[in-house]
Amino acid sequence: MNTILIVDDEYLIADILGFALEDEGYLVEKASNGRKALDALKEKRVELVITDYMMPLLNGEELVRAIRDELQLPDLPVILMSGAQANQGRICPELFAAVFDKPFDMDRMITTVRELLGT
Amino acid sequence: MSEPLKRLATGIDGLDTLLKGGLIAGASYIVQGPPGAGKTILANQLACNHVRGGGRVLVATLLSESHERLFQYLSTLEFFDPALVGDPIQFVSAFDALEQEGLDAVVSLLRQEIARQQASLLIVDGLLNARVRAQTSLDTKKFVSELQGHAAFAGCTVLLLTSARLQEGSPEHTMVDGVIELGEQLVGSRAVRHIQLRKTRGSGALSGLHECLIDQAGLRVFPRLEALYSHPGQSGVETFTRVCTGIAKLDEMLGGGVAKGSISLVMGPSGIGKTSLGLAFLAASAPDAPGLHFGFYETPARLRLKAAALGHDFAEREREGSLELCWQTTTEGLLDQLGAHLLDRVEALGAQRVVIDSLGAFSRLAFDPARLNAFFRALTGELRARDVSVLLTWEMRDIFGSEISAPAPDLSSIVDNLLLMRFVELESQLRRMVSVLKVRDSHHDPALHELCIGPQGIVLRKAFEGASGVLSGTPVPQGRD
Repeated sequence: MNTILIVDDEYLIADILGFALEDEGYLVEKASNGRKALDALKEKRVELVITDYMMPLLNGEELVRAIRDELQLPDLPVILMSGAQANQGRICPELFAAVFDKPFDMDRMITTVRELLGT
Repeated sequence: MSEPLKRLATGIDGLDTLLKGGLIAGASYIVQGPPGAGKTILANQLACNHVRGGGRVLVATLLSESHERLFQYLSTLEFFDPALVGDPIQFVSAFDALEQEGLDAVVSLLRQEIARQQASLLIVDGLLNARVRAQTSLDTKKFVSELQGHAAFAGCTVLLLTSARLQEGSPEHTMVDGVIELGEQLVGSRAVRHIQLRKTRGSGALSGLHECLIDQAGLRVFPRLEALYSHPGQSGVETFTRVCTGIAKLDEMLGGGVAKGSISLVMGPSGIGKTSLGLAFLAASAPDAPGLHFGFYETPARLRLKAAALGHDFAEREREGSLELCWQTTTEGLLDQLGAHLLDRVEALGAQRVVIDSLGAFSRLAFDPARLNAFFRALTGELRARDVSVLLTWEMRDIFGSEISAPAPDLSSIVDNLLLMRFVELESQLRRMVSVLKVRDSHHDPALHELCIGPQGIVLRKAFEGASGVLSGTPVPQGRD
């Protein structure tokens, strides 16, 4: 069973997305900021990361760079959930497997997750 | 020698005036008020203005509300620029840290985030949740104190937002440097927002309740005029000069016109010619001494027509810059907003003469009638200090009769010149009468004059000499029993 790590300081979004992914049969882990996400990734095997951009301690972009450089996980797919109104022009989309503007369509997110995990 | 405190301007109209220049840089403030009072708008407006001035902001929420939802609401307001979010303004949620690990974890998180963001302004939304999480009031004090300490170390000003109505003795109030309270009250069927500075440690401020509103521009604050102008801003003229009223005969009655920088009140019933008298007064405006009509009832188009009927080309006066017709509606608005707008227009135009038609409109916007006298005193005092000659009108309810109701108690002590207009029925004809009741520091002609309005303008002539009881409206010719 695939494990997905959701990283968001806004717990409601993490919870709602988590419930939807659990309904699809995935295992879900959650972290409220980038630093906690790195800790979780060191301890657990995770097949996919879905992260917010604007978070305490490490933002979404800093997190994905740390995943690649510190944890040496170049192939771990990372989906970014970005504020559509915020972060305009500040995100490097090539760092991410997909970028979703909040608020996003849950069906489209699940379809993208399935495609990335081949499930 | 004492040094002025460094201020952090909020950039919010009127609020910096209340705060005597802005928040004290590096200090901490509570912004409190019930849900919907405007705390979040105030904080985000301040954040955007602070960033535009080169600052950096950290907004931390202890609430479960989504940031995206907040951005959706803010995007309808002119001050909000989504491009500022994410870099100069960082929004983070500390709700999870609060829920999972408690207040110490929130302090630790915010300490790191202040440094990471290099924030010069920290906004913490949801102080009530911290209070709920605290086990004792000492925990709350410790939380606020530690947050203040870390922020002060980083040179960061702090705003703590809460929907709780914290009292003066609350742990939070004792810790912070200032308390800004936002509220709303129902007056009849209208909701009126207000703001109050409940605590301003080590700094002067305009105390008491002040009206405010929220529109597309965000929060706008209108300091109570009598608090703002408790001392007039300028010294006024030192020499006694006179200006004409635009009606030669009236100038004669007043002893040579009205004093420059004086306040004249014209009282009379509807239709008597108060507006026409005001138009004649403004017809004497010139490009180097412009006039302002601040009216509530007649549109500029109607005023131009009315002036044309009196032989004055107001459109040409407006084109040459010697006249402005400023029309206000009386359906909505705030008393101090109106006063501020009037003074702004006077300043912008450099107006030397102003007609306010009429004072009754101001009275209708006064939610606290007890304020009116102080309000008018401050408004006229400031206009007088700016050397503006003012003509005010006041509509009396009775078309006939000897009873005279004043617009506000003691108003006669505020005005320099008092003119009374009355309808008079004499020999089966309805006539207009004008008399000068008071001219400060000058002799005047107390005789009753008839006022005729026509294509030749306003003409005054001595009349009613053979009658008594003219002011009652139904004079009796002398010699008749």
